[in-house]
Amino acid sequence: MSNNRFCEELTALLPRLRRFARGLTHDAADADDLCQQTVERALKSRQQWQEGTRLDAWVYRIMRNQWIDEVRARTRRSQTFAHEDEGETVGMAGDRDTENLVELGNIGRALARLPEEQREAVVLVLVEGFSYKEAAEIIGVPQGTLTSRLGRGREALMRELGETA
Amino acid sequence: MTVTNEELIAFADGELSGADAARVEVAVAADPVLASRIERERQLRARLRGHLDPVASEPVPESLSLMIAAAAAEDMEQDMIDTPPPAQTPPQAKTQPARVLDFAAARARRKAESKAAKPAQQTVPRRWGIGAAIAASLVLGLMLAPQFLGSSAVTERNGALVASGSLARGLDTQLASDEPDALRILSSFRRENGNYCRVYEAGATSGIACKFNGEWTLERTVASGKSESSEYRQAGSPVSELMTAAQNMAVGAPLNAAQERAARVDGWGR
Repeated sequence: MSNNRFCEELTALLPRLRRFARGLTHDAADADDLCQQTVERALKSRQQWQEGTRLDAWVYRIMRNQWIDEVRARTRRSQTFAHEDEGETVGMAGDRDTENLVELGNIGRALARLPEEQREAVVLVLVEGFSYKEAAEIIGVPQGTLTSRLGRGREALMRELGETA
Repeated sequence: MTVTNEELIAFADGELSGADAARVEVAVAADPVLASRIERERQLRARLRGHLDPVASEPVPESLSLMIAAAAAEDMEQDMIDTPPPAQTPPQAKTQPARVLDFAAARARRKAESKAAKPAQQTVPRRWGIGAAIAASLVLGLMLAPQFLGSSAVTERNGALVASGSLARGLDTQLASDEPDALRILSSFRRENGNYCRVYEAGATSGIACKFNGEWTLERTVASGKSESSEYRQAGSPVSELMTAAQNMAVGAPLNAAQERAARVDGWGR
């Protein structure tokens, strides 16, 4: 029966997972891909989930790790391209991202400009409502690291929004 | 009374409890500077949520729900009580190596697949043959008995679920007055078109089956909460819901014992 429960709970989580994916990726198409891959992976590993533990934190961790892998892969790709193009700098905040940022609005832009590690901390605590402890476990860092990333992310957002408010 | 910046933030994040929270609350109430800092924190949170919450209200892409439904159905096939002989057990997906795809490849793959297949069905494994619509209904609440799905007790015909094997035999032969066995008949009735229907309870599931063209078509199937896992039990009673549904389908009163016997002799109208 536990697997049926797993599938029911996972289905119920989908709206929140989509929100988290959008927060991480700040791009609708990337978020859809991330969700797809996260659900695939969660289903594949469903035997490893322990009933009685929080499924949301478990799936968020999968999504977060999946996204970090993707970011690293992109960084590697863009470094390769940059090398081929004789040293042109194309990074995560390259052309493609800047293009998309126009549609995001102030808060979305400010969030998108945060370093990955600050953005995930901000989204997990301020949007997804996880406690410091839970968020630290999802990311896999000590709680002190989480709170300092959260603090820096928060200050950066306040600064950016302060200018436009 | 001093409040550090960390404490203030922790307070805004709901991380302080009891005496600490009370202390900060008092300080904030007494100090407009602290109060405005708390207010800015709340505004930031509200703006972030205002930006991202709409995503959670969007309809979830069907491909995601179907992917989960297909997995649920797969599990049910494996969990069923009527375990098929080992030779018939399908190979386990778990032993396959994890596919690692980057986004670009995944997108390209899906584009290629969507040309060949209907988008809603593209993520449903092909080896699961009962159909995506039924798969979706599994997760959407119409839980089928794991011991029936994939076993010989339920088969699928033109998109409808039909009783076969032990379930069909039980529906044919058992009376409501019989001692509850694996199958318990709760009520029998006739519906508007004259067909006989029976409300039954079989282990983890209950349902309404109606005899049509010589077969018991499962009109409704719900988890009755009688499985070994008590967590399954929902707030409302599925059986009382079924009885209400039966009442709405029925023409006249439920069959009494004599009428039921007569109907059985008659083969339930065949």
